[in-house]
Amino acid sequence: MPKDRKLIPTIIAAAIFIILEVAALNMLRNNSALQGIWVSKGAHKVMSVLWGGSESIKYYFSLKKQNEALAEENFRLSEQLSRYSKVTAKPDSTFVKVEGFSYIPAEVIKVSRNKQHNYMIINKGYEDGVAARSGIITSKGVVGIIDAVEKHMSYAISFMNSDVSISARLGGEGAVGPLSWDGKKTNGAILKEIPLLYKYEKGDTVYTSGYSSIFPADIPLGIAGDSKVINGATNEIKISLFQDFTALRFVTVVYNTEMEELEALEQ
Amino acid sequence: MRKSYTTLVYLLLVVVQILLCNYFHVTPYITLSILPIMILCLPLKVSTVAAMIIAFVTGLSVDFLAEGLIGINALALVPVAYVRKSLIGFVFGEDLISRGEDFSIRKNGLGEVSMAILLVQSLFLIIYIAADGAGTRPFWFNAARFGASLAAGYLVALLLVDTLVPDSRK
Repeated sequence: MPKDRKLIPTIIAAAIFIILEVAALNMLRNNSALQGIWVSKGAHKVMSVLWGGSESIKYYFSLKKQNEALAEENFRLSEQLSRYSKVTAKPDSTFVKVEGFSYIPAEVIKVSRNKQHNYMIINKGYEDGVAARSGIITSKGVVGIIDAVEKHMSYAISFMNSDVSISARLGGEGAVGPLSWDGKKTNGAILKEIPLLYKYEKGDTVYTSGYSSIFPADIPLGIAGDSKVINGATNEIKISLFQDFTALRFVTVVYNTEMEELEALEQ
Repeated sequence: MRKSYTTLVYLLLVVVQILLCNYFHVTPYITLSILPIMILCLPLKVSTVAAMIIAFVTGLSVDFLAEGLIGINALALVPVAYVRKSLIGFVFGEDLISRGEDFSIRKNGLGEVSMAILLVQSLFLIIYIAADGAGTRPFWFNAARFGASLAAGYLVALLLVDTLVPDSRK
């Protein structure tokens, strides 16, 4: 209470101080050309600082909207790129396999990172066009696979899950093997079953192979690192993922529109 | 009785300041103003808001009645009134404010009173010289003007403290 009693007179005094000073400055400005310019200059400086500050605050609070807009834009561009690739790709190109995928932008609303079987929940469900067994990707790689779908939310198994492995290719046209989380780091993975005969360089990029019906081909996933020989038959290569799971928010759900046809064919 | 004496002295000193502004032009390096000490010596019972309004009206009166820029004294004097109580608390101690007593050379000593005078004079002169120069005068001129005006103002203010603060008259 005593603090409040002291605070109000302080605010009143400060307000009156500002009013009186502004009045004095205004009189000074109106009564002398030289002082008028000086006061106007000072006023412009103060206003530019205030406006600059308020713009910065506004900008900070509009970041969420801007991020959402960027995610939408990213999604549209991905679709356009996909369509363009379909038109320009050669018939025998691996990129043709991208054909038939639909993209839905989404936002991660919950994610676990500190377990062996991590999961995530996104803010799009079956009413938004999301179906089970859709993939979740970002511009930096594969993030997870949709497991269960609700009206406006979906539960996905994260790539940071020891049960998940995806088909990946070393380099543009290299060997293919299953890629899974290393179980330790948020950006660590292991590419298994790479034949010893296949030579690769550290720093080679790893892409989705496109052999899976869940993810389109050629999504860059990470960079190849050290390797070790397993049972004298295959190489196991450490991969440093582009996608760091500690900074995950805007994602894209990819659904293979030809999945049913593919499954029917397989049966 | 004491209140009317204070008011009368205050009004007389305003007239003195107007005369100083109109007739005391020894050198452009000296701006002699007794207004800051007048505001500093206002009774502590006068609130900050009231002191600011007194300072504004006093400054404007001097501006209108003396040959000068209208608003310049008001501009420089209102900040003195605004910081007056904080400055008195800082220099003489918060006890003085809580007891509601006024300061004096006899009670607080020449050192503390001098420091308070120099601080209010400095604040007033910085704003006054900056507004008067309006960014057109070189720094060395403003600095020399500030130093000379501070010295002159301090000496005059020391003489006035005895008149302005009732306790000193005893």
